[in-house]
Amino acid sequence: MTISRRRLLQAGLFTAASAAVGASAACGGDDDSGSTGGDSKDLSLWYWSGGLSDKVVADVSTQFSDITFKATQVGGSFKDKLVTTITSRQFMPDITGIKGEDIAYFMGQAGQFLDLNELGAADVKSQYLEWKWQQGSTPDGKLIGFPIDIGPTALFYRADIFSKAGLPSEVADVTAAMSTWETFFDNGVKLKKALPGTFMVGEAVEVFDMAVGQTTKRYADKDKKFIGDQEHIRKAWDLAAKAVQLGISFKVASGGQDANAAWNQGTLPAKLGAAWVAGDIKSAAAKTSGNWRVAPMPSGPANQGGSFLAIPKSSGNPKKAFEIITWLLNADNQARGYTDAGLFPAAPAAYKMSALTSPDEFFGGQVTIDVLGPAAEKIPVAYESEHDSVLREPFAAELSNVETKGKDPEAAWNDAVSAAKKAGERVGVS
Amino acid sequence: MTLSRTAAPAAAHKTRIRIGPRRAPGRRRRVLAHWPQYLAISPFYVLFAVFGLAPLLFSFYLAFQRWDGIGEMRFAGLDNFEYLISDDIFWLSLWNTLLIWVMSTVPTLTLALVLAVLLHSVKRFKAFYRMAFFIPNITSTVAISIFFGALFATNYGLVNAGLEAVGLPEVSWLQNAWGIKIVIAVLTVWQWTGYNAIIYLAGLQTIPSDLYEQARIDGANAVQIFRHVTLPLLRPIILFTVVLSTVGGLQTFTEPKVLLGDTAGTGQSGLTMVFYFYRSAFSHNDYGYGAAIAVVVLLVVALFTILNWALVQRGQNERSR
Repeated sequence: MTISRRRLLQAGLFTAASAAVGASAACGGDDDSGSTGGDSKDLSLWYWSGGLSDKVVADVSTQFSDITFKATQVGGSFKDKLVTTITSRQFMPDITGIKGEDIAYFMGQAGQFLDLNELGAADVKSQYLEWKWQQGSTPDGKLIGFPIDIGPTALFYRADIFSKAGLPSEVADVTAAMSTWETFFDNGVKLKKALPGTFMVGEAVEVFDMAVGQTTKRYADKDKKFIGDQEHIRKAWDLAAKAVQLGISFKVASGGQDANAAWNQGTLPAKLGAAWVAGDIKSAAAKTSGNWRVAPMPSGPANQGGSFLAIPKSSGNPKKAFEIITWLLNADNQARGYTDAGLFPAAPAAYKMSALTSPDEFFGGQVTIDVLGPAAEKIPVAYESEHDSVLREPFAAELSNVETKGKDPEAAWNDAVSAAKKAGERVGVS
Repeated sequence: MTLSRTAAPAAAHKTRIRIGPRRAPGRRRRVLAHWPQYLAISPFYVLFAVFGLAPLLFSFYLAFQRWDGIGEMRFAGLDNFEYLISDDIFWLSLWNTLLIWVMSTVPTLTLALVLAVLLHSVKRFKAFYRMAFFIPNITSTVAISIFFGALFATNYGLVNAGLEAVGLPEVSWLQNAWGIKIVIAVLTVWQWTGYNAIIYLAGLQTIPSDLYEQARIDGANAVQIFRHVTLPLLRPIILFTVVLSTVGGLQTFTEPKVLLGDTAGTGQSGLTMVFYFYRSAFSHNDYGYGAAIAVVVLLVVALFTILNWALVQRGQNERSR
């Protein structure tokens, strides 16, 4: 089908008009005089330390010399400060970051932000990962959060310890030998037998969260129906409980002194985690450089973390703000974000750039993108309810009872489900 | 300004003579006449009103609403409180709080008293000792919590290394319901003993030394002197520290939050009331419920403060009778 010049012009005008209408309609309820203008020359950005590449942010001023750009790193609890500012309707930034764990909450407040589709986001949609785009979109198709980075998960492991225990240690062999949770657990049992006091799994809830992330459903569906008692959650629960029962769990949360020491000592030679975990391991276990490898996660990838940029409805110049966002987060700058701040790109084009394809000495010269890149593209799309954190909590709490108090998994499951149902009823999920 | 300042009292004086019975305007003017003094003390009241009173009143209001932080507030009547009564996790948090409070306050105040008596009898390096015991109190709780987290780490912590050295088994301090409470209590004791000791020391210094002399002449030994002279005379000071410890201890938050993260540890054993209220409001975006918990925290603190007050006071009355 050929598009005539006239059709194209019509379409262009229509898009521009609808964007303008959309923007002004969205601003209609706001009595702030600055917000209806839409051509402010002063634009501000809120992000947190490490949320974007500082160098790329600094380059905005040279890239967009016609405006005054002010970027602020907001410290402390970012979400709380953003919520306070939205509620007070004062000092709103023109562009703001939204953390991955808060995106579901802000989806419930979609009216506070502009639909980026109306500003032309559809044109660049194909450059970003489909599931991530979905995560930043409301169920009715408004794009609220523009993808910054993602957290594709993988199995990080120490090749030296694996080979000492007689397990496969080359990436290809580990990939083949631990492609499912069952075979992964089998190897965990072997590991423990060969090297007593050595554990394959950090803690049960880690397995649980990963297994939930591998499915296309979570704790509630779009119609606010509680689905946390269904098969997909039960399966994840059983896997986590099995890790406890097999005795292959170290029973310690990562991030603390114990887990860090265990990474160094080799008593915890594996970690299921998102791409950004590489940074944690590098800083906590610098001595073990060269011994680590990355393999695909058993039974497929999940996602953990990864943030967004959004334009609040009070933005003084939504068009410019959107231009800045698309520039800040184009594939080239996403590659820079990976180099500067370890932000794993949400634009697959960046995976072929040298910033990501160069071998990593910490991982024994492995090109980690060969594992993480394909993982990123295979992450399942799941609807995340704004109440997910409330609904997940009882499962995590009961799982820790199973792990550290020896509570019967069946009783714990029943308690978790009834507690989650009760918490759900309170927030209108039943 | 200068003009009115000098003119006002004179005018007030005149007015008072002319219309005697109407005193109210005169009084108001007298208040106005003291504006520099009121201005001088205003920073506290202004700051308190903005950062103390206003949030307090708003919390009361919020406790009767459903609110997700951004959207519309909906009046909920007593719903939040009804849910609270049936909420097992709230009762768990209350129980945790009370346990941690008792486990930390009793040793803190006992040790502080002993320490104060020792400090009182010290002859050399007085300032050094007082400083040394006070420093934990002005150290950031977050920093202390991180440090204690490392001390009590299961596999490579100093405490377990010490236990192992004397042949005792390792303890998974932070993976165990009691261990968690013990670590929080020990941390609190470490941070607050010096502070309370300094207060007791100030109290000890107000006790006239001739009372001790008389007791000694009457043949009382050190323990008897402590029980029958020092303790009764310190009672008001002890009451003060008990009240402070109650108010502070029942609002424990930073220690478990930093030590254990948002899960509050195994079986949520480190979940205190304030931690639960924080989590409800800021992690789960249930601000109305968070405020309801906060109101109950206030009631619990008030209740236990009154209870403690009554206990310590009653002891005093019996003694003086």
